[in-house]
Amino acid sequence: MANARALDKRRKSVRNIRKITRTMELIATARFKKAMDRAVAATAYTQRITQLVSDLAESGMELRHPLLEPRETVNNATLLVLTGNRGLCGGYNGGVLRKAMPHHVELQQQAQVRMEMSGNRGISALKYRNITADQTYTQFDDEPKFEEVEPIANGYLELFSRGELDRLDVVYTRFVSSSKQVPVVETLLPLSSLGDEQSEDEKENSSSSNYEFVPSAESILEEVVPASFRVKLFKCFLDAAVSEQIARMVAMKSATENASEMIQQLSMSYNRARQSQITNEIMEIIGGVEALSG
Amino acid sequence: MATTSDSAATNVGHVTQVIGSTFDAEFDEDNLPAIYNAVKIQSNEKGVELNLTGEIQQHLGGGKVRCVALGSTDGLIRGQDCIDTGKPVTVPVGDATLGRVFNLLGEPVDGRGPVEATETRAIHQDPPAVIELSTSTDLFETGIKVIDLLTPFVRGGKAGLFGGAGLGKTVILTELIARIAGGAGNSVFAGVGERTREGTDLWLEMQETKIGKEGASVIDTTCMVFGQMNEPPGARLRVALSALTMAEYFRDHSEGADTLLFVDNIFRFSQAGSEVSALLGRMPSAVGYQPTLATEMGALQERIASTDSGAITSVQAVYVPADDPTDPAPATAFGQLDAFLYLERSITEKGIYPAVDPLASSSRILDPQYVGDRHYAIARRVQTTLQRYRELQDIIAILGVDELSEEDKLVVHRARRIERFLSQPFLVAEVFTNKPGEITPLEDTIRSFEELCDGKWDHLPEQAFMYVGAIEQAEEQAKSMAKDV
Repeated sequence: MANARALDKRRKSVRNIRKITRTMELIATARFKKAMDRAVAATAYTQRITQLVSDLAESGMELRHPLLEPRETVNNATLLVLTGNRGLCGGYNGGVLRKAMPHHVELQQQAQVRMEMSGNRGISALKYRNITADQTYTQFDDEPKFEEVEPIANGYLELFSRGELDRLDVVYTRFVSSSKQVPVVETLLPLSSLGDEQSEDEKENSSSSNYEFVPSAESILEEVVPASFRVKLFKCFLDAAVSEQIARMVAMKSATENASEMIQQLSMSYNRARQSQITNEIMEIIGGVEALSG
Repeated sequence: MATTSDSAATNVGHVTQVIGSTFDAEFDEDNLPAIYNAVKIQSNEKGVELNLTGEIQQHLGGGKVRCVALGSTDGLIRGQDCIDTGKPVTVPVGDATLGRVFNLLGEPVDGRGPVEATETRAIHQDPPAVIELSTSTDLFETGIKVIDLLTPFVRGGKAGLFGGAGLGKTVILTELIARIAGGAGNSVFAGVGERTREGTDLWLEMQETKIGKEGASVIDTTCMVFGQMNEPPGARLRVALSALTMAEYFRDHSEGADTLLFVDNIFRFSQAGSEVSALLGRMPSAVGYQPTLATEMGALQERIASTDSGAITSVQAVYVPADDPTDPAPATAFGQLDAFLYLERSITEKGIYPAVDPLASSSRILDPQYVGDRHYAIARRVQTTLQRYRELQDIIAILGVDELSEEDKLVVHRARRIERFLSQPFLVAEVFTNKPGEITPLEDTIRSFEELCDGKWDHLPEQAFMYVGAIEQAEEQAKSMAKDV
């Protein structure tokens, strides 16, 4: 039987941990609501604009835009990985990294790869694996702003149009529903993969719609396609943010539960240890008294 | 046994009081038997045959002495004659005792006729003088990985196996007997207050086990002394001394060969002492033990010593009541030992045997000065890794493995492998593990753990490390496991 004081000390430390995890859970819940509202709001817009681009592409006109063209040889690729700045969110960061690392190796076999990492957790993971990140971002937390993402997106667009970038892959955690988030690899540039997400009936609807282009289809595409890319990238950040909050919420909830369970067990052994200590002392005192009086 | 009836006839007392397994006797005030003298009571009253030996413990004044019975007091009656033998209990010593089984009085109990010993010795002896003691620091190789690596035994030293009920103390002790007994020197086994059945098992097993390929049985170089659970406390209190006396003789006449002394279980010695103490009316001390606990233990342990003329290497099992190592009985034994293995219940619960706790166990000679820098460094690395794993366990239990940093994940990964690799198939446990026992040379042990710590075997599944000898066997096991799937 371990000694009572050590057990009590351990129980105290577990209690402190539980305090932290419970607070984290509450904060994550609050942040999750906000992040989710933003993500949902953005979803509608993204879907619409994606649909628009694919409608245009399918409208039968000979439409071409450099961002939509897959390149035959990929020389320069960029891998953007979105992780969290903080830990205590269960398998969130681990999941993204597990997806990203094999993909990074795979890409490296085909082309020159620029590694871009967002989030402190990912940066330290790279350091541990001795991979140098070409670019790191740490400014994105639970509320990524479009103004912050836009310059990054513009940078990619410029590199792409200059031919210095042939492919952009983003690894992030896609927010499917509040009970399901999956780490995915998505190719954002070239934009040919756009519209993959659309369901069949949506496609039917869209194909029936007719557009009139004023002043011309080209000029509209010139405007819409880059915008769609920017939004798409922004959506990745939003998804990552909301997924992180959910992951944290779930992880902290189970951590709090585990801690409570542990406290219960520790309390039980502590009480037993204390009890037996007392019994022992009483026995010794009585034994001593008996021996003296007898 | 040679009786001294002629001389003792001059000093006869009679029993005045019987209290459990102690009794009082009255002698002539001017001719009191000395403390520790043996007294004999032989009678045949109303068909009850009594042949009892007692040991004088106290002089009560007025010609009265208080004795501890070294056998059952059934049939003892006040007024019976009590004969002073004029000396303490003596036991036969020398080569004639080899291959035999005795009780604490030195009487053979294996039914093979009388022992023709040329010499007898009293069981109470002084410990060797300070200047005679040798302080050897040679490592005693056992071929058990966890022992050789983390708690190396000292040649001529004392090793203790601490553990609660059912953790495998006796199994490890018998394993050690199977591995190291029957070497150059003679062995003495003392069964103190343990199950009689285990003693019989061991005796039979030793007859079957051969030294080397052919040659004699292990029993031919061993003598066994039993005072098991069925005996009264006096017997259990003195049986260790009887065995020790025989071992001492071998030490003094061994001409350089090591004498091995196995004691199972030293805690029973303290326990018997506490029973006797209560019967003698001493005031109980901490946790109800006798106030003389440390004195008794010291008197016994100090005699298990290596001198210039020969060495006694002893291995003692120590029962830890209620898994509490702070209990006074194991705690006093603890201080006497050169190497101690602490068996841990949580490790047996994982199915890892021997269940040695690598962090609580240690050895005096686990020091670069004695075992060399490499051995020491690797032992420490193994301990650091396991220590870190233990610290992380709370975090893992609460937050999950995912929250650990990459370094810590690797530590956990390796620690889990090391933990399993510390298991080993035993020679005496072949029937349980279905694997032949493994004797791993020290060099292989060190190399295996070094490679494990360096991460050379990180790719093998955890299960592959269970019950193998050197690390190459883990690799083979991994292959055969992959084949089965």
